Amino acid sequence: MVIMVNGKQIEWEENLTIKSLLKKMNYTFPKIVVRVNGKVVEQKKWAEFKVPDQAEVQAHHLIAGG
Amino acid sequence: MSVLIEKMRSSRKVLAAYHYVPALIERGYAGKTLYIDLTNKNIESKDVTRQMKDIFVGGKGFGLWYLWNAVTPDTKWNDPENEIIISPGPIAGITQYPGSGKSLLVTLSPLTDSVMDSNVGGFFGPYLKFSGWDALEIQGKADKDVVVFIDGDNGRVTIEEVDLDPSASHLLSEQLTELMAETEHDKKNISVVSTGSGAEHTRVGMLNFSFYDLRRKVARLKQAGRGGIGTVFRDKKLAALVVRFSGLSGKSNNPADPAAIARTGVKITREINKFDDTQFRMRQIGTANLMTPMNDYDLLPVHNFKYGSHKDAAGISSEVLRSRFTQKMPDGCWVGCALSCCKAVDNFVPKTGPFKGKKVTVDGPEYENAAGLGSNCGIFDADYVIEANFYCDTYGLDTISTGTIIAFIMECFENDILNETITGGLKLNFGNAEAAMELIHQMGQGRGFGKVAGQGVRRMKKIFAEEYGGDPAFLQDIGMENKGLEYSQYQAKESLAQQGGYALANKGPQHDEAWLIFMDMVNNQLPTFEKKAEALHYFPMFRTWFGLQGLCKLPWNDIIPESNAIADSPEKIPEHVQNYVDLFNAVTGKNIDKDEMIRQSERVYNFQRVFNLRMGFGTREHDAAPYRALGPVTEEEYESRQDRYDKQLKEDVGINPEGMSTDAKVAAMRKYRQGRYETLIDVVYKRRGWNENGVPTLGHLENLGIDFPEVVEVVKKHL
Ligand code: SF4
Repeated sequence: MVIMVNGKQIEWEENLTIKSLLKKMNYTFPKIVVRVNGKVVEQKKWAEFKVPDQAEVQAHHLIAGG
Repeated sequence: MSVLIEKMRSSRKVLAAYHYVPALIERGYAGKTLYIDLTNKNIESKDVTRQMKDIFVGGKGFGLWYLWNAVTPDTKWNDPENEIIISPGPIAGITQYPGSGKSLLVTLSPLTDSVMDSNVGGFFGPYLKFSGWDALEIQGKADKDVVVFIDGDNGRVTIEEVDLDPSASHLLSEQLTELMAETEHDKKNISVVSTGSGAEHTRVGMLNFSFYDLRRKVARLKQAGRGGIGTVFRDKKLAALVVRFSGLSGKSNNPADPAAIARTGVKITREINKFDDTQFRMRQIGTANLMTPMNDYDLLPVHNFKYGSHKDAAGISSEVLRSRFTQKMPDGCWVGCALSCCKAVDNFVPKTGPFKGKKVTVDGPEYENAAGLGSNCGIFDADYVIEANFYCDTYGLDTISTGTIIAFIMECFENDILNETITGGLKLNFGNAEAAMELIHQMGQGRGFGKVAGQGVRRMKKIFAEEYGGDPAFLQDIGMENKGLEYSQYQAKESLAQQGGYALANKGPQHDEAWLIFMDMVNNQLPTFEKKAEALHYFPMFRTWFGLQGLCKLPWNDIIPESNAIADSPEKIPEHVQNYVDLFNAVTGKNIDKDEMIRQSERVYNFQRVFNLRMGFGTREHDAAPYRALGPVTEEEYESRQDRYDKQLKEDVGINPEGMSTDAKVAAMRKYRQGRYETLIDVVYKRRGWNENGVPTLGHLENLGIDFPEVVEVVKKHL
């Protein structure tokens, strides 16, 4: 009952959406590209998209920095 | 015309004059360098050779080559032989692609005693080139303050004595602009390089490059901040450089393929117009857009880099700073920059110092100013940040070094290494804005404890140990400098790749070689040493390229094209990399590809590494980082993020932290992190073609085509 988020093992829970996952990870940055098992999930679908158990999630922050 | 300007005009005394026919620009190059010897008041024109263009390209490459030929391994920063070289690079000056107006400066630094480079906006570089010069090479020292005027319209260079006050850079820029301009509109054709009194009294002097803002009717300033170049400038008794060029057009750079430049420029300008408001909001907030996310992700330097966030950080958040910027309009430091990230606070009234009660225009604050002068010193007050920013700029103090210096002093004060007797009554605790502001005035005016602060962190560590009984090991751990240069303002403790990005940088810990924190720490795109090393090869080389061309880094990845969503290496922004290849080819008529682009940089990067060796640095010991940059130095730091560190001990180090004292945990963490840093260095050196001591191998230099006899001679001593 785990998923991988940016290479880190995270406990999976029933009805885990992308929105709640990002909250759990403290990923507050507004520009994140989320891929679940390699497929991009658009931001407008984050609130309802259910992350399946064993999923590989990439949450890539588009931040340019210094 | 004011009385003051009239007085300046009538006081002008020409000490030397040189008349020339401005060279026609051909495919981005003028083919000539302006050489000025201030000691003998000698002004000459030098040819830019084919070899210089092929090997060193321009900008920083030209600066390094000229400096190499000017100095010996014994030359010190304040010897007359030291030079300041300013060179814009072949792409600089085009007006169709954003971020194409930068100048690169090179000198021997009073902080590092080795080679320093700095990249700056403003109109000076492009106007210098269009006045007929690919570079300006200044050597020698004048005996009295002088101004160098370059009149590109009339082909005349003069060294002059002028009755002026060089203590406040914002006024000097205004006055010299006024002096040279025939009409208000003509002011946009003038650019001034100057600094302030802080550059005379400290080692962290910077240079302001002006660009006239016709809407605000003020000379705006961009800073060549790092490494004390302003200190060298004043040591040469230079009060200012002034260039005048009035014929700017979209064709001034005379490129090989103007249509290709226009096409590429239109494409990215459209992107900026379409996406900037929903991406980084550079046009609205500039680099201050980073304040809030850095705090949210525990990356904002707080209390001399002890922590990465603070409960009061909202006081200087991105939105608070945004609310302080006036005339919320796009604002570029060179013509045609659609990303326009410059910001200003107009009609600001300082509460302290020589401009107390007077209305001034403040350029910024940018991220580094707010993080360095603000959060890193525990000060979360926007008014303080704006005022400190203003005074650093007009005194000519590098805001980044100044922030790190004050933060270091504050930590020493809180650890009883310093006290009020030593600081002359200043209670320099974290958060004391009043004392910090007074210290900035003292640095700017060469008074009191400011004279000690102005020596920089490396020299203060020695002074505090030898004179005030500080523990040298503790001072080494918390003094945030490497190679003598103060760290710029990112908390790198949780990103090993960024730790290398900082401490392996040729000139010292500035983030312009590599900024890998999110890629590494948050996105986890660099999970192995090899991946980190690859990033620490590619990005420093790629970013060096901007400095060869006279380009700004920001339009590369502070705007993301649509194609990036499906790109193979999205962190490289491949579409924009291709834009740059296309631009170079369109300007110069050459035919490079993405690989040759990196090789152009590699030649110059490795040459700079060898230059460091030649000056007595450049080996592994000089790439060491203070432990504060790698992990928690104190128990207080460890305990502030105990869950994180305990988890790392358990999962990454394989030690069960239960029952261990904090002291023991700090020691175990330190051993682990320092071991990883050393492994990283090994892997990066290998990837860069260097031996285990950080020395480029002869084979690598040969491959790059920079195995000149004098380069080989330097390297051989270290092999
Ligand atoms: S992005 Fe900002 S710093 Fe860069 S050239 Fe444009 S205005 Fe200047």
